[in-house]
Amino acid sequence: MSDAMIECEGLTKRFGNFTAVDHVSFSVARGSIFGFLGPNGSGKSTVIRMLCGILEPTEGTARIAGRDIAREGDETKEMIGYMSQKFSLYDELTVNENLVFSGKLYSLPDKELKRRRDELIGITHLEPYLDRRAALLSGGWRQRLAMACALMHKPTVLFLDEPTAGIDPVARRELWDLLFEFAGQGMTLFVTTHYMDEAERCSHVGYIYNSRLMVCGEPDDLKRMPEVSPPGTRRLDVTCDHVTVALRAMREVKGVLNATVFGQSMHLLVDETVRRQEIDEKLRSVGIASPEIHEIGPSLEDVFVTLTAKHAASNQQERAA
Amino acid sequence: MNRSPFRGLNAILFKEFITVLRDPMTLFFMLFPPLVEMIAFGYALDNDVKHMPLAILNEDRTVESRRFLDRFVNTETFRIVGEVQTIEEMASEIRKGRASVGMQIPPHFTRDLRAGHPATVQMLIDGSNSTTALQALNTALGVALTQSVEMMMGETGRRTVPVEIRPQMLYNPTMRSPNFYVPGVIGIVLQIGTTFATAMAVVRERERGTLEQLLVSPLSRWGLMLGKLVPYLCIGMLMAMLLFSIMRFLFAVPIAGSVIALLFATFVYCFALLSIGLFVGTKAENQMQALQMSMMFVLPSVFFSGFIFPRETMPWIFYALGSILPTTYFISLIRAIILRGANFFEYWHALTILTGMAVFLFCVCALRFRKKIG
Repeated sequence: MSDAMIECEGLTKRFGNFTAVDHVSFSVARGSIFGFLGPNGSGKSTVIRMLCGILEPTEGTARIAGRDIAREGDETKEMIGYMSQKFSLYDELTVNENLVFSGKLYSLPDKELKRRRDELIGITHLEPYLDRRAALLSGGWRQRLAMACALMHKPTVLFLDEPTAGIDPVARRELWDLLFEFAGQGMTLFVTTHYMDEAERCSHVGYIYNSRLMVCGEPDDLKRMPEVSPPGTRRLDVTCDHVTVALRAMREVKGVLNATVFGQSMHLLVDETVRRQEIDEKLRSVGIASPEIHEIGPSLEDVFVTLTAKHAASNQQERAA
Repeated sequence: MNRSPFRGLNAILFKEFITVLRDPMTLFFMLFPPLVEMIAFGYALDNDVKHMPLAILNEDRTVESRRFLDRFVNTETFRIVGEVQTIEEMASEIRKGRASVGMQIPPHFTRDLRAGHPATVQMLIDGSNSTTALQALNTALGVALTQSVEMMMGETGRRTVPVEIRPQMLYNPTMRSPNFYVPGVIGIVLQIGTTFATAMAVVRERERGTLEQLLVSPLSRWGLMLGKLVPYLCIGMLMAMLLFSIMRFLFAVPIAGSVIALLFATFVYCFALLSIGLFVGTKAENQMQALQMSMMFVLPSVFFSGFIFPRETMPWIFYALGSILPTTYFISLIRAIILRGANFFEYWHALTILTGMAVFLFCVCALRFRKKIG
């Protein structure tokens, strides 16, 4: 048996003339956390919906644990859990009732339902809220409940569509701790997100832009791509006063290929020939003294920015031609 | 592994019953408006014409003319609202709507009567409402005819009239209009409550995004549809029993036939209506659309089901339209059971058609409902 839990080949969805997902192919191995990134409207949710079997692909195939979703829908549905963007819960039901409902939906026998519910309550710490209506829970707790509901039937693949959108940082970190725990137990996780720090924590990431999968792989491999880290260049982090002034100055230096502000510092992509002295001197000339400079590796954001810019440029060329 | 066609039904039932019972206000607002509508409709649709306002221009002022007027008042069809002095004044009273009928007794009424000449009385009737106008006319003709016949019998010494019709009014001997209308009102009112309820129950899931969550699960469509239908079927039956009680005790319409048969017919009818609601719910994108689509089903049944207007006189197209509405069969069924005390062999065809419709509509809903979005 193949170790790929999620596989899709040439997955395409068209709505009339609009192609929402354009020949997307990738596979996700058992026990990995696959981070799926891309701007709003790029086709992330459409891919998830096709993988969950609630949206029919126009072309291509998708398999869960080797089973074709189109042909063995009921079997694959047993295996997957899905937590939608909206944490779709029944507001008028209590926390406990929402869990019982999810269990019944998957026809769990009473005994197992109780056992599983207690187990998930333990994991998610929902105990104090059991009799509270879902409508009265805060965002973080709603999200925990939604996840517990999605896990009642012990899915082997869990899809999470922007699980951390709009919840506080503590809840966000706790959720990720849970996700790592599940992955450690052999569950396969497919997560869409906008947060780069979350993407960095995934074992694999895919980046979809304009309906096409631009890149897919382990974060470290992506960062080593020649488009992202061209040979003969390095990335520097420069911390100094008046970052915006410094940025303008840096863009005038020959050999600085790219400069971006990151909070109190800026990231430079420079030619190997550029030396620290040159940077120091240039900054002093605009009145900025004693910058802290050190070398850094590319971030996933760098990867996605580079790829998006490249894609946009090639599109423009196409249009010009 | 559980592969029953109703997979997940118990989950949906569990959830729907909690949802319905948890919020007493929702339940109240589902049950209360139909009861009010029923009472309002029941009273409003009373077209027994009684005590029509009558204006008098009595230029004769004799005992005979007053006795003649008394005969009119004694029919209970008329009530004298005032005397006027001129014919113009009488016409004006009718135009103002203060009187529906005006009667002018000429100065020589008693003289003509005694002399054996034909005595004429002029009647002005407001014809803008044809039903009441017709009844006023018939009553007036009847009163005049009765008096004429009595006088002629007095002159000739005969004791009986040459031809006499002896009518026997079956099933509604006092010809009360509530007996005819109220069962129909129940058919209409039930439809409004139940169709909206299931349509909303499905659309709400779509709007909140919970439908997506259901579709991801192995829940079967039959399980989903039946789970949505059963709780509202219970409420529908509860509502129907309340409506029948109001009919029986407030409007005093006796139930001639079997109550069990009546409840069974209601059960089948509610099932059909709820299936229409489900159908609307699976097609509508939001609550507004659901409301409009439900109205599309509800409105024709008010006009074409025979609830108010007899279907027999309709142009064929509206007659045909009425033939595909469950309400048509339900109203004819319950009129048969409540008023005429019909037994199963006398109404089985309407019940069969209604049952067929219920099963057909439910199957269409479940089969057409695709476990997909978009």
